[in-house]
Amino acid sequence: MSNMLQVSLVESKARERAQILLDEGSMVELLGPFDGFESPHLEAQNIVPQSDDGMVIAKGTIAGKSTLVISIEGNFQGGGIGEVSGAKFAGALERALEDCENGHLIYPIIIYDTGGVRLQEANYGLLSIAEISSAIVAIKKHVPVIGIIPGKIGSFGGMSLTAGLCSALIMTREGRLGMNGPEVVEQEAGVRELNSKNKQFIWKMIGGTGRFESALIDKVVEDDLPNYIEAIESIWSENKYAERTQQYTEFLSMLDELSVKEKIEPTEAQSYLKHRAKYMGTKENKQSNQQESRGRSWFNKLTDNAPSISPTPSVLVADKEQDGRKVRYIAVVPNEESKFYRARNGEFGLEEAWTVAKYVREAIEEDAKMDEKRVIVPIVDVPGQAFGYHEELFGIYLACAASVEAYAVARQNGHPLVTLIVGKAISGAFLSHGMQSNRILSFDDEAIQVHVMSKKSAALVTMRTVEELDEFAKTVPSMAYDIQSFQSLGAIHELLQDIDADQPSDEQVNRVKSSIEAATTDILQSKDDSLRVRLTSEKAVEKGRKASIAVRDAIKSQWK
Amino acid sequence: MEKLVYKFPASKPIQSKTHIGVVGSGDLEILMEPIEGNEAIVEIRTGIKGYADTWERVIERFMAQQQILASIKINDFGATPGVVSIRLAQAAEVSTHV
Repeated sequence: MSNMLQVSLVESKARERAQILLDEGSMVELLGPFDGFESPHLEAQNIVPQSDDGMVIAKGTIAGKSTLVISIEGNFQGGGIGEVSGAKFAGALERALEDCENGHLIYPIIIYDTGGVRLQEANYGLLSIAEISSAIVAIKKHVPVIGIIPGKIGSFGGMSLTAGLCSALIMTREGRLGMNGPEVVEQEAGVRELNSKNKQFIWKMIGGTGRFESALIDKVVEDDLPNYIEAIESIWSENKYAERTQQYTEFLSMLDELSVKEKIEPTEAQSYLKHRAKYMGTKENKQSNQQESRGRSWFNKLTDNAPSISPTPSVLVADKEQDGRKVRYIAVVPNEESKFYRARNGEFGLEEAWTVAKYVREAIEEDAKMDEKRVIVPIVDVPGQAFGYHEELFGIYLACAASVEAYAVARQNGHPLVTLIVGKAISGAFLSHGMQSNRILSFDDEAIQVHVMSKKSAALVTMRTVEELDEFAKTVPSMAYDIQSFQSLGAIHELLQDIDADQPSDEQVNRVKSSIEAATTDILQSKDDSLRVRLTSEKAVEKGRKASIAVRDAIKSQWK
Repeated sequence: MEKLVYKFPASKPIQSKTHIGVVGSGDLEILMEPIEGNEAIVEIRTGIKGYADTWERVIERFMAQQQILASIKINDFGATPGVVSIRLAQAAEVSTHV
């Protein structure tokens, strides 16, 4: 038996990958091709749907152990996550979590091959990824979650955040892991920032080997079935995981050491990352010019101008007593002096993400023994994550995963989280800062936008014109950028009317405070620390999340 | 996107539900299900408009050879007639063998 043919995961389709990994004859697929769950949003945009929406959910065993395999089909719409595929992913994990809570352990394995959010369904992808993230964080308390990135696409966009949340990651040399795909970085930042056509360089930057050399993943394997199984069993046999999302001290001190005036070479970056544990310095508070922004102005109003305790000038953090409750306000604001030149306009960059993670984690630790956990209010005015070469090189996907996880853990530990959208709430930045909250409040304001990618980049990726995208957005609310369209999906708890977001009166500020307080009371009364409310709201049930709900019901009835 | 529907008299029932392929560039997905009666139904959704004649010829030839009685759904992402024929033959083979 020594000359057996190579069994490749890279060359296989999503369903075959699940079949290959699972013990022979053990695979049972849920919501398969004949169950009729395809995307309800694609035909309207002249795109042919796929019968399984590009997501394969399978139960079975590996080496006799009860396993849930979630396998993404990269050949269909670039593995993009839409409403149905996202609900299949999140819904399956939610079932697995329930099993684990009832003492029936089932081990999730996620096979990534995805560009992230499916741009034709846009905000559905965003909502799904928030729900997937929340489920991964919750289930990790019971069983390790293993992610496999075989290639050919890799794992990008919002899905790279969920990869960052996995207990352990296995890649091949062909796999790539990054937040913003090279083409999008080039589109947003220019070819001098990153030449996406230089494939060899791209793989050095974000390929499996480089990620392994940077101690960002756990295993890099040759693409042959026995190697994957060996890696999985080895990970299962350990009971300690790297917990990279908790390494905010190491990452922040390491980032402090960097000079990005010249481009740092991938090999040099790997050396920094590999030895990040030696950077443990604490940072001085670097006060800089305070640029006006909605985020800053609302932070000041809501905290009565409290000084920020964060040394990172672009992240404002303060605690404030509000009607007898402690509230931690967190805002991300522009800092034109930031050395990370792609993150000077309020973008969510490496420093911002790790700093947010730190101050949410610290609140959790400080309140660990308290009966009453402090409220956390992310103030959202973020034009997106930072698109840049160094950001990808130093793993912005992991930094964002760290803040996602910090917020999710806070919520799951009983901290009421109330998001206040005052400006832009875009893409990975919104996922990392705001989307994990129990309740989301927003001003009803024209300047507010919720979306996943700039129109120019979205046009590039979907091979359409900006005008065509605008036209589709009129009939597909998840593709629109305005807050009313986002509200129609059912995730907004309250849309605050008649607030002057730029020059609010005292009465308006007080109304906002009361709404935060009312949302907090609502959270405490519901005794629910999940994101389920987004699927049970009136708007979600009536129209906004119909498919998401139907998929979950079907998984429930097929889950045995 | 274009939707095409064809019906053909058919006599050979298939044994099992069969699914092959993906809606990926230059490829297509085929779903075959057993059906009652004496007429096969072929429903096609294709991203490329204006090739109804070509589709008809490819499907006609396939049905003339195979005669399979089934509901056949095709989701196409620009597969060439050659790829379509191979995929159809592949699906027919899987669905008629237990």
